[in-house]
Amino acid sequence: MKGVSGWFTLKGKSLNSLAYSFHRLTGIVLLLYLIAHLSFLTSLRIGEETYTAFISTTVRLETLPLDSLLFLATFYHAFNGLRVVLNEFGLLYEARKALIYLMTLLGLLFWLYSTYVMYLFLTGW
Amino acid sequence: MEREVIFRIRRFDGEKTYWQDFRFTARKGMTVLEGLYFIKENLDGSLAFRASCRMGVCGSCAVKINGRPRLACETQIFDIGSTLEIEPLDNMPVLKDLIVDMDGFFRKHEAVKPYLIRRDDDYENPKELLQTPEELHAYYDFSLCIKCGACYSACPASATRSDYLGPAAITAAYRFCADSRDEGREDRLNLVSGSDGVWRCHFNAECSEVCPKSIEPAKAVQRMRLMSAIHMIKSIFR
Repeated sequence: MKGVSGWFTLKGKSLNSLAYSFHRLTGIVLLLYLIAHLSFLTSLRIGEETYTAFISTTVRLETLPLDSLLFLATFYHAFNGLRVVLNEFGLLYEARKALIYLMTLLGLLFWLYSTYVMYLFLTGW
Repeated sequence: MEREVIFRIRRFDGEKTYWQDFRFTARKGMTVLEGLYFIKENLDGSLAFRASCRMGVCGSCAVKINGRPRLACETQIFDIGSTLEIEPLDNMPVLKDLIVDMDGFFRKHEAVKPYLIRRDDDYENPKELLQTPEELHAYYDFSLCIKCGACYSACPASATRSDYLGPAAITAAYRFCADSRDEGREDRLNLVSGSDGVWRCHFNAECSEVCPKSIEPAKAVQRMRLMSAIHMIKSIFR
């Protein structure tokens, strides 16, 4: 068996595999974010200072690009997941490649808009 | 038209894996399988590969060519380029050079009962089982599978779980479940409804992309999944 590397091997593969690999990758990113998020919230049990210290290291203007990338991972994962659900219900199977383009485009549009709103809200641009 | 080509072959001698390059002059229309035979007959007689019909029917010569599983007999050298990287199929143990052990692959195929099941089997008094063209069309495409293992090699779910039935076996199960003459649907649905069956598929659909017979195994798996879901819901109320 090829193992987990089989999820990320793209040589000789089609667009489907690229979408699949990105889905796995963004899933791992979201899992790591979830762990960090829950760790931050759990730190409240230690004390408010600990929580504030954690927050002050990550919630800064310099880390906004990372938040933006997190949005990108979230929207890609969400829209691609929707595509997979549709295909797995046997819907739009023949249009599976067009659906990849459509869902990726929707993910990118949502990402750009959310990043714009985030910067607008936090910096007043 | 003739051109010098390089066959970069991933070899395995039972202990170690290594790449070996072979240069030779290929002519227009020459297939990868003909190239492999040329190497075996003229450059290195120890090269091991599997082949039989040479016309895309038996499925024996499936190998990875530049990362993509293909039938060597159906792939022309010039369609690929001047340098061809040839490897054994993934997700199956390599025995020697390009030969993989397909035993597990065939055991999975066998496990889904890929044959017509009838309750009224009577070999003394056989009867004709009629079908309409529509009934034939419901499964015909899926009956064209040649069990080459290309789909199994490309499947990322098969890459991580050795107990996953894989696209070829599930396609075979669907082919018979969709056959109007068959009466073994319940048996097969019980076999493919587990986590090692249809629910393990995460719809990469690469199996459909690489299938040399274009039979769309991913479509069969998703149809089987729907059938399985209905079967599971019905079984709750039984």
